[in-house]
Amino acid sequence: MGSRGYLLITLVLYAAGALHALLHAVFRKSSLSALSLGATLLGFAFHTAALALRWSEAGHFPAVGMRDAASLLAWAIVLVFLLVHAITRVEAASVFAYPFVFALLFVANLAADSERADPVLRSLYLPIHVVLAVFGYGALFVAFTMGAFYLFQERELLARSPRRFYYLIPSLERADTIGGLSVQSGFAFLTLAIATGFLWNHSLQGRYWTGDAKEWAALVAWGIYVTILVARWRWGWGGRRAAWLQVAGFTAVVFTFCWATLAPPLSAAVR
Amino acid sequence: MIVIVGVSHETAPVAVREALAFPKDQLKAALEQVKKDAGLDEAMILSTCNRVEVYGRSQASAAQALAEFLARYHGRTPQEIEKHLYVLEGEPAIRHAFRVAASLDSMVLGEAQILGQVKEAYLEAERAQSLGAVLNGLRTRSISAAKRARTETAIGRNAVSISHVAVELATKIFGELNGRSVLLVGAGKMSELAAGQMVRRGARASVLGGRSFEKAEQLAASLGGRAAPLESLRAELARADVVISGTGAPGIVIEREDVEAAQEQRHGRPLFLIDIAVPRDIAEGAGRVAGVFLYDIDDLQKVAAANLRERKKEAAAAEAIVEQEIQEFLEWRRSLEVIPLVAELRRRADEIRKAEVAKARQRLGPLTPEQDNALEAATSAIVNKLLHTPTVRLKELAGHEQAEQVGLLRRLFDL
Repeated sequence: MGSRGYLLITLVLYAAGALHALLHAVFRKSSLSALSLGATLLGFAFHTAALALRWSEAGHFPAVGMRDAASLLAWAIVLVFLLVHAITRVEAASVFAYPFVFALLFVANLAADSERADPVLRSLYLPIHVVLAVFGYGALFVAFTMGAFYLFQERELLARSPRRFYYLIPSLERADTIGGLSVQSGFAFLTLAIATGFLWNHSLQGRYWTGDAKEWAALVAWGIYVTILVARWRWGWGGRRAAWLQVAGFTAVVFTFCWATLAPPLSAAVR
Repeated sequence: MIVIVGVSHETAPVAVREALAFPKDQLKAALEQVKKDAGLDEAMILSTCNRVEVYGRSQASAAQALAEFLARYHGRTPQEIEKHLYVLEGEPAIRHAFRVAASLDSMVLGEAQILGQVKEAYLEAERAQSLGAVLNGLRTRSISAAKRARTETAIGRNAVSISHVAVELATKIFGELNGRSVLLVGAGKMSELAAGQMVRRGARASVLGGRSFEKAEQLAASLGGRAAPLESLRAELARADVVISGTGAPGIVIEREDVEAAQEQRHGRPLFLIDIAVPRDIAEGAGRVAGVFLYDIDDLQKVAAANLRERKKEAAAAEAIVEQEIQEFLEWRRSLEVIPLVAELRRRADEIRKAEVAKARQRLGPLTPEQDNALEAATSAIVNKLLHTPTVRLKELAGHEQAEQVGLLRRLFDL
């Protein structure tokens, strides 16, 4: 069985997890949680195997083309959410993560393998740069989730009559704290990713900035998160304003990222 | 058979419940007496403010005698308490014991106290040496079922009393309350209760006193905090995270302007205002200031009601868990019933065989050892082959609800 088979199994296992996340949100049956966590861990194992296989099949780090990029991003998001779950025990995070991961993997399963066999892709810069970028985006997704949680929970509390979200999602303080930490670590990863990207460009073309769409996307994301950090540190923007920024910031990042990935032509550098 | 006779908040008013209650220091004597009076092998008494129940196990039905005991012990006639009493025997009694322990029969569904009270009651019975294998089995199983129900469902999770709701909301806003400041405006019972719970979770308290500053100082001392005069309201508001206001003042004590002024110094940090006074202390407009969450007594009650609805939703899941444990307990009980029955059946058949063999020997006169052995072997084989299938079937019955068939068998063979 090749990497495609493994990826399909992964999709099925994540689908089971996603379905549970939905049931969890609707019925709040917390006893199902172990089952969903099991499915996710098993899925993650298959996912890792799929990536490893794909790496050896392609002969370079699997981050080129829609299929590999989506798969890798999904892998990083699952890893980040497993970490968040292990550290904070915030179960509700899965409600957001699962559909997103499922969509990414669905795309990955449908897309064709990239057949590019550029010697450039064998560079050590590729895995380093891409892993940094992918974790950066993963952490920013957590920040987005926590921002959304903050706004939902605040709405519940202001409405003074608890509905579903009141029970489901963490406290304002917790959403704020986890969100803030995610922005910090996401920003750090993104900065390193951009730096390695520039260095890679320089080693390939003698220029740091090539005007590639992905460079612009990364720069926009970086700018947004600098704003959030400055707002938090300098202006004391905690709570709801930071939450709005985290939600708006990630939405902007997703838009620029999609535009950058879909916009032809891609330069030699991947991101 | 297990029998339970008792009264609870559902069947009896508090006047009856308190009249039938057993003080803790009388339990040992009461247990000894009930065993003697009602001819019980095992006994246990559960006496809380919401229920008084006597658990017993005996060979014959002891329901009547238990009811009689419960009345007479407290100087009543059985007729007086009859209409408040429930009498449960066999499976319904077992089901009841499990549901009580799991707080499914409690006045406040899912309340945590009952499990401790049940444990204590069994412990007292154990000390009085009135527990045997059956009630001990009931004890272990029902307590572990209750624990499962609590951990695997949310039946006890959300707060349903006003003071607990206040604490729950505070944690929904601030997460851990460690290091948070609670400001009490006015010293009332309810404020004290809620603030006390927050202080136990690590919050610091301060108390604003009006005319009776002494009272404020006393309350502050009991909460390990400090007291301040009402004039410093704005400064204290700016410092506080949670404000609990419960003065007896006829008008507004905290105006919107006070809250706005405080919020300006707080850089958007959330402020949780709890107004438990009637008439209200805090201007309604204060709840519209950014970052402020204002709850009055009705809002708290609404949250409590919503939480109780959540518990009721969870109750079905808890009932399912408890039912599963009940079935396991019943199975265990039945296996206890069937094993002696099989032995008895075999013994009985062997008695008959031996008697008939003896008669045959008398008629036949002296036999050679071979003939004697053949006679023994043939009769034994008949008995064994005849009883083989019934034995197997009986052991199968052990797991199922076939009490009637077991009874029938006993009648058929006069066991």
